[in-house]
Amino acid sequence: MVVSTRVRLARNLADVPFAAKAGPADQERVVSSLRWALQEIGCLEQGRFFDDEQLAEPRGSCLLERHLVSPDFLSTKARRGLYVGEDEAVSLMINEEDHVRFQVLASGLDFAEAFGRAAVLDEKLESQLAYAFSPEFGFLTACPTNLGTALRASVMVHLPALVMTREIEKVLRGALHIGLAVRGLFGEGTETRGNYFQISNQRTLGQSESEIIETVTEVCRQLIEYERKAREYLMRNLRTEVEDKVFRSLAILKGARILTSSEATNLLATVRLGIVLGLINEVTLAEVNRLTVLVRPANLQVVLAATLDGAERDERRATLVRETLVRLRS
Amino acid sequence: MAKSCDICKNREGALKVSQVDSDGRMTELWVCAECARQRGFTAVEELKADVADVIAELQSRVEDKDNALVCPDCRMTYAEFKRLGRVGCARCYEAFHDRLVPLVRRIHGAVQHVGRTTKSGRKRAQERLTLERLRTHLQQAIDGEDYERAAALRDQLRRAEDETDG
Repeated sequence: MVVSTRVRLARNLADVPFAAKAGPADQERVVSSLRWALQEIGCLEQGRFFDDEQLAEPRGSCLLERHLVSPDFLSTKARRGLYVGEDEAVSLMINEEDHVRFQVLASGLDFAEAFGRAAVLDEKLESQLAYAFSPEFGFLTACPTNLGTALRASVMVHLPALVMTREIEKVLRGALHIGLAVRGLFGEGTETRGNYFQISNQRTLGQSESEIIETVTEVCRQLIEYERKAREYLMRNLRTEVEDKVFRSLAILKGARILTSSEATNLLATVRLGIVLGLINEVTLAEVNRLTVLVRPANLQVVLAATLDGAERDERRATLVRETLVRLRS
Repeated sequence: MAKSCDICKNREGALKVSQVDSDGRMTELWVCAECARQRGFTAVEELKADVADVIAELQSRVEDKDNALVCPDCRMTYAEFKRLGRVGCARCYEAFHDRLVPLVRRIHGAVQHVGRTTKSGRKRAQERLTLERLRTHLQQAIDGEDYERAAALRDQLRRAEDETDG
């Protein structure tokens, strides 16, 4: 139910103007300082650094669909830089809203792993750079909403049963009530799709990193419990309806000749539910997760090594999904 | 033909005045300009114009104040910060400090950072604590009329302040 855990820290350099007041030379300085720091702490050998030129389309969107960069990072006019660790668990954006924003992803609910790695990287970077920090406001960020720890601790959860039983709103309102944010698949300003929800803290100042993580974890555990109960309820009382929905979705994925990105995402999410409920065993969760990324427009084009218009994309997407699912069965 | 004033019954009525009596009944009167001024009646339109002027005046005063508050490092004005919602540099947090404190409290429900710090941050926090402690002791010494101790503390405080600045 918890697909992934993500920890993001925002940092700024003490002696360079922030984004709103940074000129091209300042931006360049931030990129080169970070590149140098990453080199010094031995990160560059284990990952890949992208210059601004290397972030042009379609790579930019592809990185976005893989959750390695934010929508804002793609639209900013600033000179950017990006570091992506070998396993794509670590990524570091340079010159997004803050000089540095880095994230660590872990699968499942695992803040120990995600925050542990983020803290190590943070300390190493601090040994090379002078961070903007005040004892009163903590880590200084471009926007006061991120002050303090500048930590965004989030979990991506898949809650299809709560959506089907129409309890999702009530449950998520509870999360909002204690000051957490609920967002769609791609973070801020995106719609929820395929019943995936991102739960994260809003407040960053006045609570320590571990307190923030505890709150998110606690809410996440509750969501898991509610989702488990909803699944039990569905299987006990509405088994036929659930089976119908799950197998219809699988059949469409196997038979469709035209698939849009959002339809594919939604259908795959229902198949995912079928797998976790033990109704489907011909496809694995890993395969569904892989396909969920591949069906997004930019990644699809990279996989197929072609630039396609919308209609072509929908056809090629359907073919890719169909062939993958048929191949798996045989 | 124009109605005559309901008060002086003489001049031509210029304003329609609504009056509510103690029983809650509403009556309408036609009043001439002269009687309206004597009784202190104001036309609603005039009143609206006055209120709009006052608001505009207050707004422009606030804007002037916001424009006058400038960060010495990046030259961002507080008005600019209000428009963008983003500060221009680390120094802005000192320059706009007093205006930001209530804002930060509204956003986070707190104004004091808890959690990880930087190495230099830890040093500064320590120094700040030392200064505060010295100032408290100095005040206590002065209040207790222990001037010898106060003088010693004052020198100590000056040294500590110099070090903090450097």
